[in-house]
Amino acid sequence: MSGLLELRGLGISFGGLRAVDDLNMSVEEGQIVALIGPNGAGKTTVFNMITGVYKPTDGQVLWQGRDITGASPHRVAALGIRRTFQKIRLFPQMSVFENVRAGCHLQARQHWWQGLVGTRAQRREEAALAERTHAVLRRLGLHKVADERAVSLSYGVQRRVELARTLVAEPKLVILDEPAAGQNEAESAELNDTIFAIRDSGVTVLLVEHDMNVVMNVTDHIVVINFGRKIAEGSAEAVRTDPAVVEAYLGRDDEAEDAA
Amino acid sequence: MDAAKKPVTRRNEAIGIALWAAGFAIPAFASSSWVAIAAMFAIFAITALSEDVILGRGGMFDMGHAVYFGIGAYTTAILNTELGVPIFLTVPAAVLLAAGTGTLLAAPLIRLRGDYLLVATIGFNAIFVLAMQNNPGGITGGSDGITGIEAPSLFGIPLFSQSAMFWLDWVVLGLVLFLMRNLDRCEFGRALRYLKQDELAATTLGVDARAVKTLAFAVGAGLAGLAGTLFAVQLSTVSPSSFVFTESVTLFAIVIVGGPGSIPGVLLGTALMFVVPEIFRDFAQYRYFVFGIAMIAVMVLRPQGLWPRRRNGL
Amino acid sequence: MGTFVQQVFNGLTVGGIYALIALGYTMVYGVMRLINFAHGDLCILGAFVGLTLLTGTAASGQPGALVLLLAFAVAIVVIAAAGVVLELVAYRPLRKADRLSAVVSALGASLLIENSIMLIWGPNVHVFPAGLLPDVIWHVAGATITFVQVMIIFASVALMAALYYFVHHTLFGTAIRAVAIDQDAARLMGINVNRIIMTVFIVGPALGAIGGLFIGVYYRQAYFTMGWTYGLYAFIAAILGGIGNIPGAMIGGVLLGLFNAFAAGYLSSSWQDAITFGLLIAILLVRPTGLLGEPVAENA
Ligand SMILES: Nc1ncnc2c1ncn2[C@@H]1O[C@H](COP(=O)(O)OP(=O)(O)OP(=O)(O)O)[C@@H](O)[C@H]1O
Ligand SMILES: [Mg+2]
Repeated sequence: MSGLLELRGLGISFGGLRAVDDLNMSVEEGQIVALIGPNGAGKTTVFNMITGVYKPTDGQVLWQGRDITGASPHRVAALGIRRTFQKIRLFPQMSVFENVRAGCHLQARQHWWQGLVGTRAQRREEAALAERTHAVLRRLGLHKVADERAVSLSYGVQRRVELARTLVAEPKLVILDEPAAGQNEAESAELNDTIFAIRDSGVTVLLVEHDMNVVMNVTDHIVVINFGRKIAEGSAEAVRTDPAVVEAYLGRDDEAEDAA
Repeated sequence: MDAAKKPVTRRNEAIGIALWAAGFAIPAFASSSWVAIAAMFAIFAITALSEDVILGRGGMFDMGHAVYFGIGAYTTAILNTELGVPIFLTVPAAVLLAAGTGTLLAAPLIRLRGDYLLVATIGFNAIFVLAMQNNPGGITGGSDGITGIEAPSLFGIPLFSQSAMFWLDWVVLGLVLFLMRNLDRCEFGRALRYLKQDELAATTLGVDARAVKTLAFAVGAGLAGLAGTLFAVQLSTVSPSSFVFTESVTLFAIVIVGGPGSIPGVLLGTALMFVVPEIFRDFAQYRYFVFGIAMIAVMVLRPQGLWPRRRNGL
Repeated sequence: MGTFVQQVFNGLTVGGIYALIALGYTMVYGVMRLINFAHGDLCILGAFVGLTLLTGTAASGQPGALVLLLAFAVAIVVIAAAGVVLELVAYRPLRKADRLSAVVSALGASLLIENSIMLIWGPNVHVFPAGLLPDVIWHVAGATITFVQVMIIFASVALMAALYYFVHHTLFGTAIRAVAIDQDAARLMGINVNRIIMTVFIVGPALGAIGGLFIGVYYRQAYFTMGWTYGLYAFIAAILGGIGNIPGAMIGGVLLGLFNAFAAGYLSSSWQDAITFGLLIAILLVRPTGLLGEPVAENA
């Protein structure tokens, strides 16, 4: 079995801290996969290793069967892997439009000198990419705020801008780090539909989420980690009742009593 | 909405073009010393704009920009006086050599962050000036520099007059302004902005930080080299003192005081640093004293610069 | 052998001076992440203030040592006060602004101080009066060591030891280190960050004034652009040791002093500065955080 994305024995240490250890998991094309676990379990670190932000100390990241371990972020992006950030990273001095347009960077085929001279082909490409950006803005209901400064908007909207920035590149895989964080209930319900829509447009989704409303309702497959190690995996149903998972999230009974 | 299509942008561009066109008339009413000052303004405006590519747009702390300016000037001076190469034919060499040096220096330095890059570029500037003074191979003329650079000639007609020289500088300034305006609306210029505002986010969108930053150094240095040619021709002499660290500081300050990434800001900064002092020539010894106060005052009162960049699309 | 010992002593003297000045750069950088480009000029301003007192009182017939002590005391007070004014006027308003704004403000302050010196004392070289200090000379292993050199080396070591004690063994010093590590956390712990920064702008320039006056006394001259030259050297020393790191500045100063002395003794002098800058760039490339600095972690 070889998925779209496969992690084999992935591990990383920060000094003495083993943040992720011997993680094996696979994301099949067309799936919605969730990576869950308590705070500090190592979820964001896994995403950072997949996207080239961190170099793993052990193991491999395979993309369509090819080893891409340790590739730099821009190379990973070029493969069609795009991500959002748990701590939102929008360009602070830019409008929503410009932020989303930034996602098209690799779609621009112009050479730098064509841009400086302003050739006709370059201007045509600019117009096409602007149109493409507007289309995604409309799709995510962001067209009304296109000219607003992105970081001045509410958290929920900012997350959608980041999402739009990944989708505009028509990626093969989007990696979403807590897309529901900071959203109100209506927004998080809407998010479920958005995630389904993304999947239906042929994009595979890997997400980290604490909001169980999102996790349990949209995912095909869930991987649970704690202290950097995988403790369970399977369907939403299977994971929900897994004793190891319950323990990881709620703590053992005697601990709970001690705390009380 | 797309910045390029905004009516405000269009209007500002029209005003800019009109002002530039009107500039051609300067020799008609200004005395020859003022025409020379206007020519110098054009030359330093090009240099400051080239510094802006690296510092203002790229956010890379380049405090050795006088090096590239100097390489352009020396290349033209040496090729012209030693080998008799006509001025216009020295331009490609000046631009390429400056751009090549920028690329070469940038390659290892780019991973240095902020202040470290600043210090390293200061170091390169010092080494460059010392090298020119030490007259390696007897080609740079030591501390006295090189004299006797010819006037350029166009279609066999030498541009001897101060006015002709000014018009030449003014045309080149127009050309560089055109490039800078395009830089704002092409992918290369945008990539620089992404990197400046959030490098990690930019790289995860596919921006090759190393390549884009190196290119910014190459383009900025190349344009400075072009300005260097004009400078050598304007003075018909070059010497190390024109490219010392203080010049780099001035260029750096022009960009930050004027408004990083803002074309009108950089032009305004150039005017303040190079033209205003000419008006107060009699108080020449107060020049840097006043500069010092002005630099502090502008930064404290307007940390974004005198004419900050308008945020595109906002 | 004689030359070698001679260079060691010359290097230690100059290195002590560099270290005293480098401490000002490194302390400010430590707490504010700002290269205080005006620091070198402040130090030379100290040399000029001291010089004025020395020439003014030299004729009065007072003993040289007393005159010299007075000159140092006044220079220290004046320069520390100037440091405080500099912080209040040029840097404090820019704490929250873009870093580049503060850099340009610092460059402006440097120009301002340098040219103030020029306007007050004139552009020519000033010579320090002779005969202030005993003309004692020692001969050690073929080298000639002057009283001034011994005085500078001893004073620098003593001052550095005192500063080290202050920063590492007093509560106030601990607060300075806390602010250097994390300003916000320090503030939450009840540390008055403004007061700490103010202290740094008193201590740094005070040490710098001593360094500046040492330059004057050692080379027996002062001119207004000296701030750049020696400031830059001291600054390189700070980088060499790891900017922001106090023991690093001391070690960096001494190493650079020795390096320069030996470069001057054995290499062509016209390339000496180029070699120093080459060394600087090499360090930045190989180990940008200097000899004692910790590698900066990157946060995603
Ligand atoms: N750059 C780093 N340097 C040192 N330690 C790190 C680094 N990045 C992450 N860690 C540590 O690795 C562990 C896992 O962190 P990570 O951010 O991946 O957790 P997480 O599962 O995403 O948690 P949360 O749900 O709170 O976002 C934590 O202990 C964290 O402190
Ligand atoms: Mg996380």
